[in-house]
Amino acid sequence: MNPKEEKVKIITEEFDENDEDAGVGGQKKTSKMARQKRKKPVCGAGDPEMVSENPHLGNQPEPLQEDSDTRPLSMTTRRGPRSLPPIPSASRTGFAEFSMRERMREKLQAARSKAESTLLQEIPTPRPRRLQSPGEKELETEFGAEPGEEAQKTQQEDDSQSRSRVKFRDSVRKIKTKPPVPPGFPSAEEAYNFFTFNFDPEPEESEEKPKAKNRDGTTQEEEEGEEEEPPVQGIHKTDEQLLISATEAEAFLWGLDHAAADFVAVRPADYESAHVRLQMEKELLFVPSRLAVPTYKKLPENVQPRYLEDEGLYIGTRPDVPRTCQNIMENRLLTQEPGRRWFGDDGRIVALPNPIKPFPSRPPVLTQEQDFRAELETLYKKAVKYVHRSQHMIGSGDSPGNFQLDIDISGLIFTHHPCFSREHVLAAKLAQLYDQYLARHQRNKAKFLTDKLQALRNAVQTGLNPEKTHKSLDTTQKTINEYKSEIRQTRKLRDAEQEKDRMLLKTIIKVWKEMKSLREFQRFTNTPLKLVLRKEKVDQKADEEAYEAEIQAEISELLEEHMEEHEQKMEAYRAAYQQWKAWKKAQRAKKKKKKQAVEEHPEEEMGEPYPEEDPVKPVPPEPTDRALMEHQVRERAARSRRRPGEPLLVPELSLAGSVTPNEQCPRVEVLRREDVKRRSIYLKVIFNDKEVSRTDSRPLGADFRVHFGQIFNLQIFNWPESLTLQVYETVGHSGTTLLAQVFLPIPETTIVTGRAPIEEVEFSSNQHVTLDHEGVGSGMPFSFEADGSNQLILMTSGKVSNSVAWAIGENGIPLIPPLSQQNIGFRSALKRADAISSIGTSGLTDLKKLAKWAAESKLDPNDPNNAPLMQLISVATSGESYVPDFFRLEQLQQEFNFVSDEELNRSKRFRLLCLRSQEVPEFRNYKQIPAYDREIMEKVFQDYEKRLRDRNVIETKDHIDPHRAMVAKYLQQVRESVINRFLIAKHHFLLSDLIVEEEVPSISILGLSLFKLAEQKRPLRPRRKGRKKVAAQNLSDGDIKVLVNIIRAYDIPVRKPTASKFQQPSRSSRTFSEKHAASPTTHSPTHSADYPLSQVLVRPFVEVSFQRTICHTTTAEGPNPSWNEELELPFRAPNGDYSTSSLQSVKDDVFINIFDEVLYDVLEDDRERGSGIHTRIERHWLGCVKIPFSTIYFQAKIDGTFKIDIPPVLLGYSKERSMIIERGFDSVRSLSEGSYITLFITMEPQLVPGESVREKFDSQEDEKLLQATEKFQAECALKFPHRQCLTTVTDISGKTVFITRYLKPLNPPQELLEACPNNPQATAELVARYVSLIPFLPDTVSFAGICDLWSTSDIWFNIQRHDSPLRINFDVTKPKLWKPFFSRSLLYPGLSSVQPEELIYQRTDKAAAAELQDRIEKILKEKIMDWRPRHLTRWNRYCTSALRHFLPLLERSRGEDVEDDHRGELLKQLGDYRFSGFPLHMPYSELKPLIEAVYSTGVHNIDVPNVEFALAVYIHPYPKNVLSVWIYVASLIRNR
Amino acid sequence: MAEVHVIGQIMGATGFSESSLFCKWGIHTGAAWKLLSGVREGQTQVDTPQVGDMAYWSHPIDLHFATKGLQGWPRLHLQVWSQDSFGRCQLAGYGFCHVPSSPGTHQLDCPTWRPLGSWREQLARAFVGGGPQLLHGDAIYSGADRYRLHTAAGGTVHLELGLLLRHFDRYGVEC
Repeated sequence: MNPKEEKVKIITEEFDENDEDAGVGGQKKTSKMARQKRKKPVCGAGDPEMVSENPHLGNQPEPLQEDSDTRPLSMTTRRGPRSLPPIPSASRTGFAEFSMRERMREKLQAARSKAESTLLQEIPTPRPRRLQSPGEKELETEFGAEPGEEAQKTQQEDDSQSRSRVKFRDSVRKIKTKPPVPPGFPSAEEAYNFFTFNFDPEPEESEEKPKAKNRDGTTQEEEEGEEEEPPVQGIHKTDEQLLISATEAEAFLWGLDHAAADFVAVRPADYESAHVRLQMEKELLFVPSRLAVPTYKKLPENVQPRYLEDEGLYIGTRPDVPRTCQNIMENRLLTQEPGRRWFGDDGRIVALPNPIKPFPSRPPVLTQEQDFRAELETLYKKAVKYVHRSQHMIGSGDSPGNFQLDIDISGLIFTHHPCFSREHVLAAKLAQLYDQYLARHQRNKAKFLTDKLQALRNAVQTGLNPEKTHKSLDTTQKTINEYKSEIRQTRKLRDAEQEKDRMLLKTIIKVWKEMKSLREFQRFTNTPLKLVLRKEKVDQKADEEAYEAEIQAEISELLEEHMEEHEQKMEAYRAAYQQWKAWKKAQRAKKKKKKQAVEEHPEEEMGEPYPEEDPVKPVPPEPTDRALMEHQVRERAARSRRRPGEPLLVPELSLAGSVTPNEQCPRVEVLRREDVKRRSIYLKVIFNDKEVSRTDSRPLGADFRVHFGQIFNLQIFNWPESLTLQVYETVGHSGTTLLAQVFLPIPETTIVTGRAPIEEVEFSSNQHVTLDHEGVGSGMPFSFEADGSNQLILMTSGKVSNSVAWAIGENGIPLIPPLSQQNIGFRSALKRADAISSIGTSGLTDLKKLAKWAAESKLDPNDPNNAPLMQLISVATSGESYVPDFFRLEQLQQEFNFVSDEELNRSKRFRLLCLRSQEVPEFRNYKQIPAYDREIMEKVFQDYEKRLRDRNVIETKDHIDPHRAMVAKYLQQVRESVINRFLIAKHHFLLSDLIVEEEVPSISILGLSLFKLAEQKRPLRPRRKGRKKVAAQNLSDGDIKVLVNIIRAYDIPVRKPTASKFQQPSRSSRTFSEKHAASPTTHSPTHSADYPLSQVLVRPFVEVSFQRTICHTTTAEGPNPSWNEELELPFRAPNGDYSTSSLQSVKDDVFINIFDEVLYDVLEDDRERGSGIHTRIERHWLGCVKIPFSTIYFQAKIDGTFKIDIPPVLLGYSKERSMIIERGFDSVRSLSEGSYITLFITMEPQLVPGESVREKFDSQEDEKLLQATEKFQAECALKFPHRQCLTTVTDISGKTVFITRYLKPLNPPQELLEACPNNPQATAELVARYVSLIPFLPDTVSFAGICDLWSTSDIWFNIQRHDSPLRINFDVTKPKLWKPFFSRSLLYPGLSSVQPEELIYQRTDKAAAAELQDRIEKILKEKIMDWRPRHLTRWNRYCTSALRHFLPLLERSRGEDVEDDHRGELLKQLGDYRFSGFPLHMPYSELKPLIEAVYSTGVHNIDVPNVEFALAVYIHPYPKNVLSVWIYVASLIRNR
Repeated sequence: MAEVHVIGQIMGATGFSESSLFCKWGIHTGAAWKLLSGVREGQTQVDTPQVGDMAYWSHPIDLHFATKGLQGWPRLHLQVWSQDSFGRCQLAGYGFCHVPSSPGTHQLDCPTWRPLGSWREQLARAFVGGGPQLLHGDAIYSGADRYRLHTAAGGTVHLELGLLLRHFDRYGVEC
């Protein structure tokens, strides 16, 4: 560029005087500078000139064929500023033109260099410089600027210039004389001339150019606009121009002076006819053909097109380009660039996959509401008040109930039925095989695999072709190896498939033959089945060739494989051999050494043992034998493949055959057919184990098909758990039998009516049927053979075709119950994947559906995105080859996980936290959980895990009796489920739970309290103050105490004088007359007095034990003691959980035991009496009162007089009430009615008793009835707010049941009724006793609620003044006293009872009872010994046997009137013993209460050194495992 | 093994045209998250502001999560409902926000929106109450093409959440 600029400068300086020109020069210069600065398209600027040049050469034909070096890329960049599309036909200055220009330029260059070489010597300096200037841009400026300047220069310049022209001209002439170039080709000379000469004289040009210059200086765009002109000009000038230039050259030659006007010539407007123009254009432009290019042209020679897609490679969709456009492009590419790199292996233009997304990423302008996505759908909901009963859930619809399931049962087909004849069996088999064949045929796996094999082989072939592949060698090798291994696998699969196909075909034919022979044999036809084998002729020769080729290919592959293997083996062998050799060598050396060593040190042991094993000399592997292999291959082919030339067999099964009519059949067959006719089938629909409907009964057809075509609409409320169809068969008019159950899957929520496909569900039955006719029966062996071999046993089986779907409501909403919350979360997580949203999550597991969806949505199986899915589908549907045992949804999740699931689950801390929040009983009250895992002991979980483990294991150890153990387990489970339900219910709050609103005091109350202020103070009349109630949750151990106030007792049994066999008063039995007012602290040795008149007295004290804490009162005296003492017992809640629910479930009892304190003087010597007191205190248990803690908790206080539970026999005590106190000496003894104790029990602080569960449970009761119960309860509560009114109760499965359903007269055991047939009174007593022995579960114990009566049909509510049972008038017919539930307004609907109709009583096994009795005795004895760890426990066998003798008597008399006999008996036997003892009696439920009862008597507490014990157990079995247990415990002390 | 405690409260809401408001809330997490204790969802009481514009709920949120990954960080979704003078409830807005990922106390403002529905539905809403609701509540936090949904802006729910993170540094997560 610089030289050019310099030149221009020189020029401008030279022609300074010429203003005009200088101006032009200046302008030019600036423009040039500007352009340089801008660096604007250098080439773009160059173009116009090139264009303008073109015309001059236009008459030459385009040398298209020779063009080899077009550079479309550079071309397009040059075109950049013009923004012209690269389509050839788009504009005149199109592609062809440009390529033309390019070509011209190249020609020019070539010509130039040639010309230069010839003219180098002659040409004066400036010219060559100009010519050689490298850039086109310079050329442009020169050309633009020169004409004017040049002309003027020539005028004034020196001779050298003109001389040079002469020379030029000479050269021109020289060139012209040269041999003519072929027409249409610009010769080098011409080109040269063109560039160097011909512009100057042209008047137009000179006019035009300066103008162009000016414009050029101003804007680039204008220049570009101008570009189009030159060609037009050029075209008409073509011929003359050379002439003109010649003349002008001559003019120069003459050295004529030219005025400016000389350059101007007036000419008519140029016009060319369209025809000429077209002609011209044809010559100029290249119009590619629109015809399709044959493939061979696009590919290298002798190469077949290769379709990657067919080989299983992913191609993607090509962008949509019209065929003609493609053809044009292909044609052009072919002519322009023969390199063919634009074409792929398949002969098409290489294209990237279509990048256009099928859906817009911007919203369409007009969105219609109907194309809402399902998730975004909104529903207009009315503003409704909603009742909060269930938990609020975000996301789940609130619409309750009214869901519908449509079950369409279309029909039933038996695949086997007892009435099947032999032929039917075969027919069924044939049909099944044919179905299988059809399915296989449709899938055509063998064909697919063959094709795949072919493709793989091709791929290997092409891969081996080195010039085809451009990849590095090792990757090619790798892929080839992969291919090969795949070929191996595919071949194996293919062989297997083919063999299966062939086998199937063979079996079909075999069965058909059997059937035919059977038909012939029995001479009638039962089934219309007919098999036709269609033969398809094949071209034998081609077939043979293919067969042979296949075998050869296989052999060669196998050979290769074996070679490889062999190679490997050889390698291994060589290595092994080397090793062996080395070892041998070493061995030899060692031996040598050893020899020496042995020689040197003969005494030394024979040294190290030899290496474990001598390596065996390896055997070289054998090379493979080709012949053998070929043999193998051929054999396999013969087995699994159709022989060449053998016709293709296509079986076709039709029902075209005719059935032999009845008349022609033998009798047995007729019988069979009749039997079939008599049978009919119906189905029951069982929903959640309840029958909801049944189909009509339809006769069984001769073809064992039953058509129902019924649709059942099930309105459901609960989520369906099971859906079952029961197939019933009716034979004639006899009963129906349940054939089988068909379990239908619950449909997916996406399946709605109309979309559900009919599915066939198979069923089978295990019934055994033998028939006396031709039918083969079910479950019975039969045979086709004459000799009865080859027996078959067929079970009744069949298929039910049905479809189950959710109904659609009126507004198009499917009536599907909402899923639970977790499921929703799961679903939404999955919804993102497309497949899942369209088929539902279960589609993931149902692979058939997934496959179907994939087929429907036209998933490209080769798209890498779909690869895992496709693989899964192919694997799952074919059922062969490698099956992955997982399918990951969130593939990436695992990569980003911090820790694995296992580790997370292993964390003890998390586990503890979770268990605590789940309120698992063991951890419910775990207060602080350690922050680190290492601080948590493993044993924390032991109990819990053990419980989980043992849940289903029945522990018989604790219960002795397996039946009880089972019952206990069941009870445990019930309790757990109740607690769980309670826990759920606990989280539901009502307004009253959250808000405590004090009632505004009414005027009357205000007035009363005001009045009270004025009341007189009466300090001597104490009043109870209300205590503050404490909420339970803030408590901890030791905060709660149970206060037991023992006030007094009445009629405590008194001691009886020991009417000893040897009526000798012992020293110790010296008694003093008792004073009633004796202070308890007097330690006078009171004793059983034999003083005839004075009463034998008693020194009772009360011991209260609760949770194994024991407190006792002081000792009082006499049978009517008064203690008035307050005992305080601490209370510990289980697991430290003081929540309401936990407190409610405390099962501990408060035992209040009454003992007699007996003092014995143990002083050995009377003489010492003055100086010391030696007495022993003994305590004798008299009776107990048991009060459950839950009662105290619920009642807050217990205040009253309770009957003391005193054993029927108290040895040494009499229960006679002595009237002596009242009546002086009239010692009238009457039998006391029992002893009583007055107690007051409460808790400190007072706890708020928990509310009972208010949860409304499901109910199957009539809605009206339930409403009535609510109303009734409300009314009763209004009148007597403190009386409990029960109308409904919750049963064991958590359903609300109307209470009277529980009441029903039940029959007592027959055995008891027969016991004393003549005495109804005794019978009644016996039965009452029996009932009292039935173990029951003390649930929530409520005392105050005994005021409504239930009968089988009605409830009456007590509306009397009193609610104590004793004071209630039980005449329910008086409406004033009892309010009945059912009245005239609500009639008794006749409710059925939940109780069984009749109880069946089994006799209890006596032996088992006896065994249990022994075991209980043993355990109790052990326990007593355990409780006396510091003392020896002796057992008095004699006494024990005596006691054991008594117990049955006690049972018989039910503990009455036996005391004296006892005493007498015992005295007779054990006269020299002083004993105290009593029998305990209770119904048996489990062992623990028995032990507890024995413990509470404190028998074991006697620590007299020579004490002996006696214990006897008796169990009286009543029917139905009701056991009455008697335990007799006694302690004996030998009198000295 | 990392743990996240979310302790805080739903303070209240401002900017709703309705006056008696309550809020249903729920927390949604990815599969990697495990709730150790606390409840995932709840509902506040109805608050009718007597003074000022803001309805105060001061509803506690206390959740303890264990996680084995960062994916599916907990997010809160809210539904603000209003109760009219007849005791009928209608939707006032859906809202969604992520639980913050840095420890400490955070004041969050969660703007809400509600579906607009067709003009007929709008008219019905204005006169008889009720209004369009999402059939599938998970659209609140799932990234479906929500542009199809025409919504109106509701008010803002204010939350105050305290975050306690534990052991994230053990897995190379700085917080």
